[in-house]
Amino acid sequence: MNKLMAVIRREYFERVRSRWFLLATVFGPVLFGALLFLPAILTARDKAKGPEELSRIVILDATGTDLGERVSSALGGGLSGSGSNAVVESVSSASLTAAEERATALVTSDSMRGYLVLDSATLAGRSARYAGANTTAMLDMSALGRAVQRQVQLMRMEAAGLEPSVSAALTSVNVSLVTERLTKRGRTDGNPLAGFLFGVAVAMLLYMTIFIYGLNVMRGVLEEKQSRVAEVVMSSVSASRLLIGKVVGVGSVGLTQLVIWVGRGWVMYSFRDKVLSRFDAGGLPLVIPDIGLLGGAMIFLFFIFGFLFYAGLFAAVGATVNSEQEAQQAQMPVVLLLLLSIMFLQNILLNPDGMLSVVLSTLPFSAPIVMPLRLSMGEVPTVQLFGALASVMVSAVAATWLASRIYRVGLLMYGKRPGVREIARWVSRR
Amino acid sequence: MTEPAVAIRQVVKRYDGHVAVRDLSLTVPRGTVYGLLGPNGAGKTTSIRMLLNIIAPDEGDIRVLGRPNDDPDIVDRIGYLPEERGLYRKMQVRRVLRFLGELKGLSGKDADRRIDSWLEKLGLKNGSEDWGAAKVDELSRGMQQKVQFIGSLLHEPELVILDEPFSGLDPINAQALKDTVLDLRKQGRTVIFSTHIMDNAERMCDSVCIIARGEVVLDGRVTDVQSSHATRLVALAFTEPPSTAVRAVLSDRSLVARLDDSDRTLEAELAPDAQAPALLTRLVSAGAQLERFELVRPSLHRIFLERVGATGVEAGMSGHG
Repeated sequence: MNKLMAVIRREYFERVRSRWFLLATVFGPVLFGALLFLPAILTARDKAKGPEELSRIVILDATGTDLGERVSSALGGGLSGSGSNAVVESVSSASLTAAEERATALVTSDSMRGYLVLDSATLAGRSARYAGANTTAMLDMSALGRAVQRQVQLMRMEAAGLEPSVSAALTSVNVSLVTERLTKRGRTDGNPLAGFLFGVAVAMLLYMTIFIYGLNVMRGVLEEKQSRVAEVVMSSVSASRLLIGKVVGVGSVGLTQLVIWVGRGWVMYSFRDKVLSRFDAGGLPLVIPDIGLLGGAMIFLFFIFGFLFYAGLFAAVGATVNSEQEAQQAQMPVVLLLLLSIMFLQNILLNPDGMLSVVLSTLPFSAPIVMPLRLSMGEVPTVQLFGALASVMVSAVAATWLASRIYRVGLLMYGKRPGVREIARWVSRR
Repeated sequence: MTEPAVAIRQVVKRYDGHVAVRDLSLTVPRGTVYGLLGPNGAGKTTSIRMLLNIIAPDEGDIRVLGRPNDDPDIVDRIGYLPEERGLYRKMQVRRVLRFLGELKGLSGKDADRRIDSWLEKLGLKNGSEDWGAAKVDELSRGMQQKVQFIGSLLHEPELVILDEPFSGLDPINAQALKDTVLDLRKQGRTVIFSTHIMDNAERMCDSVCIIARGEVVLDGRVTDVQSSHATRLVALAFTEPPSTAVRAVLSDRSLVARLDDSDRTLEAELAPDAQAPALLTRLVSAGAQLERFELVRPSLHRIFLERVGATGVEAGMSGHG
């Protein structure tokens, strides 16, 4: 027991003392937050300059009506809107091709962002065409589409004899859906975005911690092998104890970091109103969903056993390779397994109780990430929850056993990287 | 009488393609320096690893210090310096040593005290500098070897196993190692070391065991081994160059089977039926001006070559010495 503690202490303190740990613990959340929220911030910024972007387009109106003018002024913010409007060019169907060529030249010479073609199909309510340099700006494109749609509707209403003011009132409907989450614990503030973000944050945090510290275990094994220190150590302590000590020691480092991060997050969250008002964002509905004590404990257990599972696999990989390059290759299957759970993140977020979510939250390799994600987004049936936990626990024990068999032999093997069949022989060796 | 330090009985270890150790039996008495000799690939390291319970034998039985070698308390009484040496490179020397000590059941406090005295003893710490505070990385190779050596002796083991301890040592460290081994014997500890350098073994060991192809070829006290190989070698030296008459005696095939005069002293191997006094008489009567006429004990090196021969190294075996 003392020896196991000695191994754990070494693995723990050598890492916690390192500069890397200090930097990651201090700046990790900043980086993490940037990764998570930077795309959203950038999108928001793009949105802010949307009208300006959309007013730098040419509208080729082949409808023979004033639809082009209407769309242009709608894009410029309506009659009261400020700023320059899009250029409207009325063309006949025959001269449309030539007009498109001219517009294309304008776009390629950067004086315009794109051009919109309105024709009989648009009037018929079927389609409008847009070509430009900014077609990937999703928000702009949907705004453009909406503007055309609304103007066609308005025209039709006016054609049916409605007053322009009446038809404008009829079409300016904008319903926003307010949601509330109902759980067995009662009614909670159902800001779907907050639940969403919280779920993603939990999943990403678990994923990154398991990934980083799993690799850390692998590197530690590789280091012992490369530096040839393994043999001395193994003459004093059994391979399985060395492995368990390493996994527990490294895992504790990850846990320490998580606790510091979560603790800091908690403090920030408690003072969120003061912090947010500093950034002129006092009114933001930033509320973390209440997952309850059981939920929290479950997430913790999934992290622990998920880490044990992956750390075992990574350790086994480390024991079979001789160099960093070989490790890069050999770790791929394990990394892919881990990636699978993150790959389907979007599908799970969109449908947390769907078939895919249920399957992925039960399979041992993805459950440690997917189940906490589901837990933080809503309720999970008890059977599924405990079934998944059992599957992860059993797999963690199996992975540790397997790893210690491979580790015992692999740690003293240098030279050629073993194939699958040879590794199987190691496992069955006495 | 206490049990021997090590008793290995009919141990066999097979690997996928070959037999690394076949039917190995040997006994190491307590308080002796024991040499495990053999060419590379003879099974020395495999035997040592089995002895230390790092790998398990397929057959046979190993007892160490009177207990089965898988007794968990036994490992704390053994010190081991493997052939493949290495330490945690990024760790501070003192911390590495404390860790190695703790793995042998030492308390941190005891370890720290002993580390200081060892560092001073091996010149890694003095009034002006203390390498114990440096990282392993920052040490020269020679210093790292000393640290490794300290690591295997820190817990004052009763049995010390050194696998090829002289490989890669500079002459100064090699001497320090020899002195320490002799110190250990004085303290009544048992030292086993493997080597393929016969010279060292001959000078330091009380007993030796020569293994080749995973089998014991020869085993016993060094003096017994040497006397059992009754000497047929005579070292000769003359005060003046030998005359034609003397040369004629030396080339008499009924007296001298083989003559090696590559050196300043001649070495004559006696013919099967010839006796040394007869050769001496013949030489003197031929008028030889003898400076030296000595029956030489065969060196371990010679015995080794004689018993193991050039075929001692099995083709294709490599890696584990």
